[in-house]
Amino acid sequence: MKLEAQFIFFSLLFSMLMMAGNGAFAADGIKGNYEQARWHPIHFKPAIDDATDEQCLSCHQEILDRKVLKKSLAGVSSTATTAWYQTLSSYSGEQDTFHRRHLVTPLAKQVMDMKCNTCHQGSNPRQEAAIPPDHSNTDFTLRKAVNPDICLMCHGANPYKLMGLPSPWSESRNMFQGNCLLCHASIRTTRHQVNFLKADAIEEAGIKDSDVCFGCHGGRQWYRIPYPYPRHSWKGMAKEIPDWAKERPTLSEPRFQIKIKQAAK
Amino acid sequence: MSETKDKAKIKEAVKRVKRETYTPVKPDTQLGFVHNNVDCIGCRACEIACKDKNGLMPGPRFRRVQYIEGGTYPNVYAYKVNMSCNHCAEPACLPTCPTGAIFKRKADGIVDIDSTLCIGCRRCEAACPFGAPQFDPADNIVKKCNMCVDEIEAGRKPYCVMACMMRVLDIGQIDSIWDGELETVAVGPNDEIVRQVKNMANIELTKPSIGFVPHSKGKVK
Repeated sequence: MKLEAQFIFFSLLFSMLMMAGNGAFAADGIKGNYEQARWHPIHFKPAIDDATDEQCLSCHQEILDRKVLKKSLAGVSSTATTAWYQTLSSYSGEQDTFHRRHLVTPLAKQVMDMKCNTCHQGSNPRQEAAIPPDHSNTDFTLRKAVNPDICLMCHGANPYKLMGLPSPWSESRNMFQGNCLLCHASIRTTRHQVNFLKADAIEEAGIKDSDVCFGCHGGRQWYRIPYPYPRHSWKGMAKEIPDWAKERPTLSEPRFQIKIKQAAK
Repeated sequence: MSETKDKAKIKEAVKRVKRETYTPVKPDTQLGFVHNNVDCIGCRACEIACKDKNGLMPGPRFRRVQYIEGGTYPNVYAYKVNMSCNHCAEPACLPTCPTGAIFKRKADGIVDIDSTLCIGCRRCEAACPFGAPQFDPADNIVKKCNMCVDEIEAGRKPYCVMACMMRVLDIGQIDSIWDGELETVAVGPNDEIVRQVKNMANIELTKPSIGFVPHSKGKVK
């Protein structure tokens, strides 16, 4: 009897500890204490790698709740202008905030599976670089919450020269009937097989309207250079590696690999 | 020329032209900052002058003095990297703006934001590799350094430069900064100017208009 009681007691204790660990993170007493919160271990490696969206949002929920102004201070309606990337077939809906566009809007839900720590790898409250500063470790770029290399994956330039196009896609798209799959039906890599994208949904969207590929491969270009994607092998891949690809890795970063680990649970 | 305006047709034409992608402005001349990482004492007078000029509440900071410290005794080191907006040659913030609030001036290459057109979507804040655009929660919009454009037009230098007691921060024509030809006390006679220091985002992303006198530990090999 005594052993049974002990077993029940420890089972209950274990369950309570597990619930406390996974559940309401903000309830651990630091919410409202800004200085204490910014130094919390979850904002640093290695804890950030295992942080769940639920934990992040328990303090940062406002990033999903915030809406853009309906009108700017000068009185211009948010629907009155069109940015160039809004002309893409994959852009729809009213103006929305940056975080919502990456997490909860229809396109985000359809083709992405991003988590808070897919991009955010911790903060650096003292605004210092990692010590010692090392250019090979750019996870902590000076005064930037996210390493821009993460953004570059979907917001880089279209490397039309490497792909053998005669001119930028905006000029040569008619020559290829606006259809990326005209060539890429046979030249396929497996680079979408990462844990922050929905590879099958991307394939489906591409078959339905192959111009949507341009959305993430030049159409939402923030930066003037393309991302040097890892050279994942594909069926029928030539044995000889072209010069421009010789330095490239053949696998994605470990934290993005589906087999090894989820970027976040 | 047609006398009737077909709005749908015009909208379609605008879409077609915009789809050609964004083309960066090529300024007549490009102004930029130069900062001496070694001689800066990190007093943050530039930050305060900037906040004073721009009426910023606690929180948003257009100019940021960043402290880099490291090493093991007795080989320890400390230096500062001081950045605001780098008025990039090909700014990432500009094409992300859905309302056209951000623009680059043709005359001097200053990247400015008309905050009265901002709707607070914060795309520019995310896109900038250097953290220049600052969200002001009080107004629910983004604001940023415009190199005190009113001072520039009046023939003076920005507040941050004027406030620097060590005279380690200055502005000038960016090519002359990189060539070491700018006459400034921020750069010593034997100092070399670099475009990038350690832990700074890749300059090829946006081509920032800034030069540094780097610390020996901050040099990129």
